[in-house]
Amino acid sequence: MFGHLKAKDFVNLIEGIGHPAARHHSHLESCARCRATWKAVESLHAQVSSLNNDIPEPEWEQFRSSVRDRLLSRSIQRETAVRRWTGWAIRPAMAWALSFLFVAGLTVLTVVWNGSKAVRQSNSSETPVIEPVSETTIEAGPERGLFDELMQLGDDEQQQLRQMLETSQKGSRQQ
Amino acid sequence: MERTLAASMPMAARSQDPDIDLVERYFAGETKAFDEIMIRYERQIYRVCYRFVENREDAMDLAQDVFVKAFEHLPTFRRESSLKTWLYRIAINHCLNHVKKHSQEFVEVTEYTGSIRSSVQAEMEHQEQRQRFRKLVKQLPPKQKAILELRINEDLSYEEIARISGRSISTIKASVFFALEKLRKLIKDPTV
Repeated sequence: MFGHLKAKDFVNLIEGIGHPAARHHSHLESCARCRATWKAVESLHAQVSSLNNDIPEPEWEQFRSSVRDRLLSRSIQRETAVRRWTGWAIRPAMAWALSFLFVAGLTVLTVVWNGSKAVRQSNSSETPVIEPVSETTIEAGPERGLFDELMQLGDDEQQQLRQMLETSQKGSRQQ
Repeated sequence: MERTLAASMPMAARSQDPDIDLVERYFAGETKAFDEIMIRYERQIYRVCYRFVENREDAMDLAQDVFVKAFEHLPTFRRESSLKTWLYRIAINHCLNHVKKHSQEFVEVTEYTGSIRSSVQAEMEHQEQRQRFRKLVKQLPPKQKAILELRINEDLSYEEIARISGRSISTIKASVFFALEKLRKLIKDPTV
């Protein structure tokens, strides 16, 4: 009617867990092979559980202190390893050497910078001086000077100038 | 033991998971928390280790390794599983690695204890049968053996074993059955 029992069905039957189905029990009654397996495995299950009491116990206080000691020694080892890599920076000799190198480097840099500055100054003294251009010439130009002069003329002079301009314009038209 | 620990805890802490509370107290630098974690789990972890090596000294060394590892990696404990499951997982993995490394030595030890057993044989027939049976259990594949012992002798639920080993409950049940089947075959023919 049904197939043979599966591995987990046997375990459920032996341990009485997961509410083994009634069909499993009825199968066991009808199937000699599964019944034989079930009986054998059930007795082995009981034998394995009988081995439970054979374990000798250690001294727990000592066990705990050993764990504590090992944790402590490992943390010390870790710190030592870290110091091995970073410790050089805080050793006095290394600190002195680093300070000396720093000061020497700073001195060399200052000397080089001052030297290049002096060279730049000597070069700049040899270059020709360019005359500054007058501001009025740049800003106003020649037309503005003529206009100013015209504005300063008297009425008679302005009249004469106008007549001269008109005669010259007429002459140019006739030509 | 767990009852004693629970009684010593403050009322506020009892509401949450006592293991998580212990871990937090340990991180806060409370030295008593270390002892409480140890007291709570030392026996269970030692017993698991003993089942792999069947020797008091080696089991003690293994169990100490497990706790050292656990306390060193406690900051990585993500609290997704219980502390118990986490510790068991470390223990099982550590023991499996140990067995893998020292598999040759185990053969030698087994042979040695076998010769001792022959001298004890006359004294207690029943005792000898148990020893012989234990020897057969020892011949099981390490993972299968671990699952069998965790279930039958350490009385862990299938859910817990599934969480420890990262397998399904059905697989764990099948492992228990196949371990027992293998034992049956070994009894018939120890050379299998």
